[in-house]
Amino acid sequence: MNKLYSNLFKKDWFGLLIVVFFGAIIISLLKPAFISPFNIYVLMSSISLMLLVAMSQMIIIAIGQMNLSVGAIGGLAAISFAGLMEVYHMPISISACLGIIIGVAAGFFNGYITAKTGISAFIITLATLYIFKGINLGITEAQPFYKIPEAIRFFGNEKIISPIPYLIIIPLIIVFMMWLLMTRTKIGRYMLAYGNSIQSSELMGISSTKIVITAHVISGLLAAIGGMLVVCRLSLGTPNIGDSWLLPSFAAPVIGGALLAGGKVDVLATALGVVIVAIISQALVIFKVDPFFVQIFLGFMILFAVLVNRYREYQEENKKKLFSHE
Amino acid sequence: MNKLPKFIYTNQFGLLCLVIIFSIFFSLVTDGFSSRFNLYALTRVASIDIMVGLAMMVVILTGGLNLSLGALGVSAAMFGGWCMQSLGIPIIPSVLLILLFGTFLGWINGYVTVKTGVHSFIVTLATMSIYFGFMTVLTEAQSFKYLPDAFTDIGSMKLFYKYVSPLLLFSLFIGCVLFYLFNFTDIGRKLIAAGANPSAAELSGISVNRMFVYCHMLSGFLAAVAGIMVTMRIGAAIPSIAGHLGFDWLLPAFLAPVLGGTLLSGGKITVFGTILGAILVSLITNGLLLLDVGIFWVRFFLGVILLGTVLIDKARAYFTEKNMIIS
Amino acid sequence: MNSEYCLEIKETNKTFPGVKALDNANFKLKKGSIHALVGENGAGKSTLIKLITGVYKPDSGEILINNEKTNLNSPNDAILKGVSVVHQERNLIRRFSVGENLMLNNLPKNLFNLINFKEVYKQSKKWLDILDLDIDPETIVSDLTVAKMQLCEIAKALSMQSKILLLDEPTSSLSPQDVENLFKLLKKIVNEERVSIVFVSHKLEEVFQICNYVTVLRDGKNACKSEKIENLDRKQLVKLMIGREEQIVESNKKIDDNSNKVLELENVNTYLGHKKINMYLKKGEILGLYGLVGAGRTELAKSIVGIEKILSGNIKLNSKPIQISSAKEALEKYRIGYISEDRKKEGLILMHNVLDNTGITVWSQLKKYFNFLDDITIAKKVVPYIDKLEVKTPSNYQLTSNLSGGNQQKISVAKWLAAGTDILFIDEPTVGIDVKTKGYLHELIINLSKNGTTIVLISSDMPEMINLADRIIVMKNFIIKGEIYNDHNYQSISSSIMEYIHD
Repeated sequence: MNKLYSNLFKKDWFGLLIVVFFGAIIISLLKPAFISPFNIYVLMSSISLMLLVAMSQMIIIAIGQMNLSVGAIGGLAAISFAGLMEVYHMPISISACLGIIIGVAAGFFNGYITAKTGISAFIITLATLYIFKGINLGITEAQPFYKIPEAIRFFGNEKIISPIPYLIIIPLIIVFMMWLLMTRTKIGRYMLAYGNSIQSSELMGISSTKIVITAHVISGLLAAIGGMLVVCRLSLGTPNIGDSWLLPSFAAPVIGGALLAGGKVDVLATALGVVIVAIISQALVIFKVDPFFVQIFLGFMILFAVLVNRYREYQEENKKKLFSHE
Repeated sequence: MNKLPKFIYTNQFGLLCLVIIFSIFFSLVTDGFSSRFNLYALTRVASIDIMVGLAMMVVILTGGLNLSLGALGVSAAMFGGWCMQSLGIPIIPSVLLILLFGTFLGWINGYVTVKTGVHSFIVTLATMSIYFGFMTVLTEAQSFKYLPDAFTDIGSMKLFYKYVSPLLLFSLFIGCVLFYLFNFTDIGRKLIAAGANPSAAELSGISVNRMFVYCHMLSGFLAAVAGIMVTMRIGAAIPSIAGHLGFDWLLPAFLAPVLGGTLLSGGKITVFGTILGAILVSLITNGLLLLDVGIFWVRFFLGVILLGTVLIDKARAYFTEKNMIIS
Repeated sequence: MNSEYCLEIKETNKTFPGVKALDNANFKLKKGSIHALVGENGAGKSTLIKLITGVYKPDSGEILINNEKTNLNSPNDAILKGVSVVHQERNLIRRFSVGENLMLNNLPKNLFNLINFKEVYKQSKKWLDILDLDIDPETIVSDLTVAKMQLCEIAKALSMQSKILLLDEPTSSLSPQDVENLFKLLKKIVNEERVSIVFVSHKLEEVFQICNYVTVLRDGKNACKSEKIENLDRKQLVKLMIGREEQIVESNKKIDDNSNKVLELENVNTYLGHKKINMYLKKGEILGLYGLVGAGRTELAKSIVGIEKILSGNIKLNSKPIQISSAKEALEKYRIGYISEDRKKEGLILMHNVLDNTGITVWSQLKKYFNFLDDITIAKKVVPYIDKLEVKTPSNYQLTSNLSGGNQQKISVAKWLAAGTDILFIDEPTVGIDVKTKGYLHELIINLSKNGTTIVLISSDMPEMINLADRIIVMKNFIIKGEIYNDHNYQSISSSIMEYIHD
């Protein structure tokens, strides 16, 4: 029994689950409105959207890099999705395909240049952030696309059963697939190996180029899907979709125990990180706190989470040091 | 045939050529580029871009980044607005307070980075939100529109037959001071050495951590200057002068040093190059707008330029290395 | 055609800028044997290893694997040809389990193309069992001891069907018991799995214990080719390794026993692991710190100079207790300097020019009012030292990255001369340096010491040590093993040193 407890505690997500659980209880005791069906519905909708953003950054953190263009890719896919439907009256499926193609292409662009030139992903994605955002604004001229088919609005806003929105279906499936990817597939394990040690993984014959490109393609794809889901929720395709994604995209994985150096990410913990951020944002609204405090809070949370993660790594390393010196 | 002077081969010379070429191009192709009105506006924009570029440059020197410089600049500007409008503090003390405040915020960035060992990217990503959030909350997103006339008048002053804004001269002056700092002082050399090779610098008797903190403080100072300039230009202290979370400043802040030849890995900066880079960015932005390209595509072009610059830079490094191995 | 040799290196040459690493070197590995590759630092061992493992390509010469001429263009090629290497530093994925590391190139999958971890652990257990390793394949690698990690790497090599196994300093971080286990294992895989082993090591007693053959490299050439180990004894082997022409320079200083102790260490324990360090420095002497790689000498120097932490014990400067918190304090307050062994990463700022590099230690001294400091002032102070060291550079503004290794080293020394320290730690001053510069630096060190600078010389170069040092301290595993007064008699002193090392 003791072994079960200690194994559970080691898992990143367990601690977070406790935090979520107790946090939710405390908040609902103070403000019962928190657990009203409506509020839970709003919470779940916002979690649905944020999950994709977090996963998109998480996979890049796994290989030890950063993707600053997640918001820009999401935004570009979003307006293309909406625009195709409004302007060219294309069916939903075709428009969604375009969105997906954009995500994949953008991700491939990022990954290819990063892998082939060895320039840091940070700088590449900083440039593409402006390139994709620029294309976005160039196409939309800062005007949103309004005329979205009813089916989209329905998907983004209706509930399956009381508080559970349709919106959450796709993110849940994706979280599950990401979990499978990172824990049970060769390519996912190779990505983590690469994030752990580029040298060791190359010595074992893992192709760095393949890993980097694949990770960025997945990142772009997830960002694009996220953008399109936002369109469903808003029933609008506005050019500023994705503008506020950068901070939360890092916050959730980091709260979930990810190390920015790479090689350590936990899908479930990241998802719980999303939940925590969403709950906090919601709670601040319910307590009528200035919404900008969310920004401040997120900032502190990131710092705090990074420090905690570093501290834990440091403790692990020290334990090992004692081992090796006989 | 005499050997061409070394200057020809530098990055800066290339930039200078580009500035001249683009200026000529835009004057010919648009109507209004070389108008007094437009050039005046250009000098005002360029002055901000120069300050912002220099603010990022001094942190890139350490091999790090200052993502918070927009948020920092806005916070400093709003603080100044509050001092001048709400507290009625006279201009000169207010300006000093603004600069002090900006330096202080920069110190926070540097201190946290150095003490925790966390990369300045993450630290300034976090402080970007924190500073912007505090600023918004404390000012309740209100603007300070009733600033002393003497202050705002500088923003609309016109010199040299109404072509040039004093703001540009001021930026260039600061550029000169920085040039002096990095080339003719003990502390400047130490800052550069610390950024170029922290281990070697530390072993040679330089306190690298302290130098990095100084760089961040300087960055905060320069960002505050930029905030002051924008406030003078607009005539009011508004929370949105640098965009959401200060994002708007980040593109010129990066482009200027990178175009100018500053190495992102640290240890090599060029004040003159950054200034030229900033001027080029302002120039291109201005010209494209006049060409009715639409402000929206401007961002796209600048992103492409950034990408192109780093690719060319990498290619250049690759070929020089190849040649070094052969020789 | 079946040859008795699974690996042959014939007349290979490899040159790097300024240095000929391998000069018609040969190496023959007989099937089913354990073959030692020995030689001093800089003899060419690591270059030869990199040829065998596909990291480098030879400039000329042949590599034959199983009697077939082979071109190894990458580490992957070597792996495919059946060559595996276990390096000094561990190359497993630390966050993964042992089993996953072992099977990483060959992950068993199920119907849905998902990894079947049950199979992973089952199959990896098989390889662990072959080597009699009592390790649960589900263990995370970072939870293992270094010794066990190494054994797992060997198991992985086997699982990749390697028949040629290269072990690079395999016992450097192992306890005696671990070493015994390792050797038992090596003998087993040679006999039962028909693996042939190249054993690279500084530890001669181990070479005699487990190897069948030995090849000695010296200055890039073969000092001996594939000798049967029984034909040599330790003295002969050592002679083959270090026997080289005596250097011209020899210190003819007389040791003054009455001079003051400028620096004393009493019972010092450091954060990096030194225990009970007791030593002293006499003014004007050259104290040598000898030891093999990993002995802890550099770490000790760095701890004294304030870069690494000292946990307990006392340091006294001229009999006054002091505490040094940084290299800056060491230099400015106590006039102690440290010339790093790694001139490219720690000794120089390669992207900066000669003047900036040489002046760095004296900027604080030279600055005037308002912090003003221009190149002319700096040049006035440091150029004399650049000239004195006869650094060959077209101008003071030449980038140090463009200088030859020897001139780079001179600059890294010049800056400390300009600083004018009382005590100077010099760490491996002549590694990878041409012979002429080497002699020059030796003369310099002796003259410095004659003029009153106290010097601590860290070196793994035996002749250098015996020529220059007045006293030699031998270190091993972060403790001091012994102290020898140097009468510059090469035979006797080198034997004494080796005895302390190999006990």
